[in-house]
Amino acid sequence: MSIFIILGIPVLLAIGALFVRREQIFGIINCLGYLVVFCVSVFLFKEVVLVGHITAFFNFIYLDLLSAVFIVVISVVAFAVALYSVGYIRKDVEQKIISGRKASFYYLLFNLFCFSMFLVTAMNNLGMLWVAIEMTTLISAFLVGFYNSKESVEAAWKYIIICSVGIIFALLGTILFSYAFSNSGLSKSLNWSDMVPVAHILDKNILKTAFIFILVGYGTKAGLAPMHTWLPDAHSQAVAPISALLSGVLLKTAIYAILRFGIIIIKSGEFAYFTHLMILFGAISLVISSGFILVQKDLKRLLAYSSIEHIGIISIGFGLGSPLAIAGAILHVFNHAVTKSLMFFGAGNIVNVYKKHNMNAIRGVIKVLPFTGIVVLLGVFALTGFPPFSIFISEIMIISAVFTSGSYFIASLLLISLSVIFGAFIYHFGKILFGNLPKGMKVQGEPLSGKLSFLFLLSLICGLGIVLVFKSKDLLWLAQRLLQG
Amino acid sequence: MQGIILFVLLVFTYLMVIAKRMPALIRSFRYQSLCLFAITFIIALTQHQPELYIVAGLLFILKVSLIPYLLYRIIKKIKVNEDLGLFINPQLSLLWALAFTYLSWIFTSYLVSANNVIFASTLAIAFFVVLGGMFLMIFRMTALSQIIGLLVMENGLFLLASTVSGGMPFFVEIAIFFDVFVSVLIMGFFVYRINKLFTHIDVNKLSRLKG
Repeated sequence: MSIFIILGIPVLLAIGALFVRREQIFGIINCLGYLVVFCVSVFLFKEVVLVGHITAFFNFIYLDLLSAVFIVVISVVAFAVALYSVGYIRKDVEQKIISGRKASFYYLLFNLFCFSMFLVTAMNNLGMLWVAIEMTTLISAFLVGFYNSKESVEAAWKYIIICSVGIIFALLGTILFSYAFSNSGLSKSLNWSDMVPVAHILDKNILKTAFIFILVGYGTKAGLAPMHTWLPDAHSQAVAPISALLSGVLLKTAIYAILRFGIIIIKSGEFAYFTHLMILFGAISLVISSGFILVQKDLKRLLAYSSIEHIGIISIGFGLGSPLAIAGAILHVFNHAVTKSLMFFGAGNIVNVYKKHNMNAIRGVIKVLPFTGIVVLLGVFALTGFPPFSIFISEIMIISAVFTSGSYFIASLLLISLSVIFGAFIYHFGKILFGNLPKGMKVQGEPLSGKLSFLFLLSLICGLGIVLVFKSKDLLWLAQRLLQG
Repeated sequence: MQGIILFVLLVFTYLMVIAKRMPALIRSFRYQSLCLFAITFIIALTQHQPELYIVAGLLFILKVSLIPYLLYRIIKKIKVNEDLGLFINPQLSLLWALAFTYLSWIFTSYLVSANNVIFASTLAIAFFVVLGGMFLMIFRMTALSQIIGLLVMENGLFLLASTVSGGMPFFVEIAIFFDVFVSVLIMGFFVYRINKLFTHIDVNKLSRLKG
């Protein structure tokens, strides 16, 4: 039942956005709506942990632990983004960058975008999963091209074309999966819950070919290198709160889709194949992104490349497949979503004040924006994996899992890339955060909603970093159940 | 019968790969979709599946009539040069297409045994159509040809789905149709915007974002 509340509230809010004229009031209603979604999703998670899996609406909706975790991640980030949007959109309207009408258009798209992402996690039918993921692309393309400048329209075009092509390959893979299924003499169905129990009798040759298409297709959407080229453009040009959603959760929904197919591959007895492919793409993403992070000049692109890095780490974690690695990877999904949202909010505030993305021209952020500056400084350490923040825990879990599995080459690659990225982050952010108050700039006040969303995310980052150390048993239990279906 | 239609479909795909101007490309796309419609309709007739009639009808309404009409309208409205802007000239494109055909045949024989000739060749043609669409997306410079390339890829997948697994489940098919239609609308909208901001739709010149 709770899944219908989670899916229903964004739809209601999207309809509401059409009718409520005052964007500030609607922003607050929006926030409350996502607070409810967040609470319900935690409740749903508890329900799924107790029951195992839930089906609803003629087997159309299927929820297991994997989808419940992703629903929680989406709802946390969506709530933070709704909170941050209140102040951000009001400021845009006040500065006449966008009209009041366009502000309600923003809320409409934001809600539809969230709805489509929730839909991805709830779908049982693999064809509908594809439709839901394509829907996320189509809706968010408008949010990438929102400001209608030359750069943003170019980014939106590249985004929509590259992701659509990628996703066509995913559909090809899905069709091949259904071919393997119908070939084995079973009734015609694309339901995931029908496929998993019979995975071991499906034609392995076709499944393996299909999984390559799936990985390339959804991997494009997830931002795995070398299909990542749309990602830095789209993330740097989107509206700041949307960048957080894109990077924090949209990439994860694609990872979710890959995992759904991956589970079928694992159950069919091709575990090594799955492992090799995931680790291969993960390692390529890590190496490529660390190079680009080192030489990056644009603040938001830097964060976008860091997303590619983290997606790489996540895919290595899931690829390894040992309980420790899966626990680390699923935690990393959450931790990266929360931390990266924080950083994108910070970057949004900085870009708003300085009116430029180029890091060579930004100095003294802590003096100009004291609150944002401090939070971003903490965020840099959290993102690069410093204790006591939560990313440290998940990264150390994945790294130790890599070592236990005996792949020392991957382990050293991971450690080297992480240290390069750490150095690059400290260098870049050290430059822009510290320094004197630039000439002609005053200390700026910040809206309450922005501060609240920062505090919400920070409390999650720090809280989890400390609590999780004592919860390792529960985590391993969760990880063992996670890929069971 | 099915073999003849498949052959015609193959010919139109070749015509698209070597097309030089926008209207020719759209026309070939329309005829290709018409072939798909015919195949679906024949399957519906022989197998007596009422759902397939609806799918065939939707195919006719959307891909044969509505989408080509919209594309023609966009060309008329934005009044740009109708040339496709070829990276690779028609002769060389033809060679590429031949190579693709061979590749898709190899790939098909890897997947299925070639006992059933019609089945195997349908599969090979479907893969070729997907590859041809990708070729159009990569080696043609205008934004519109990228949209058509995407649609061609989608046509190939439709052919693949209807042969290998007897079509997707009905509601998935409908959802995919809807999705494709909406994506064409949205891409068309962005083509207008690109034309307005840049006064051209040459995607090769969209190079402001780098690094």
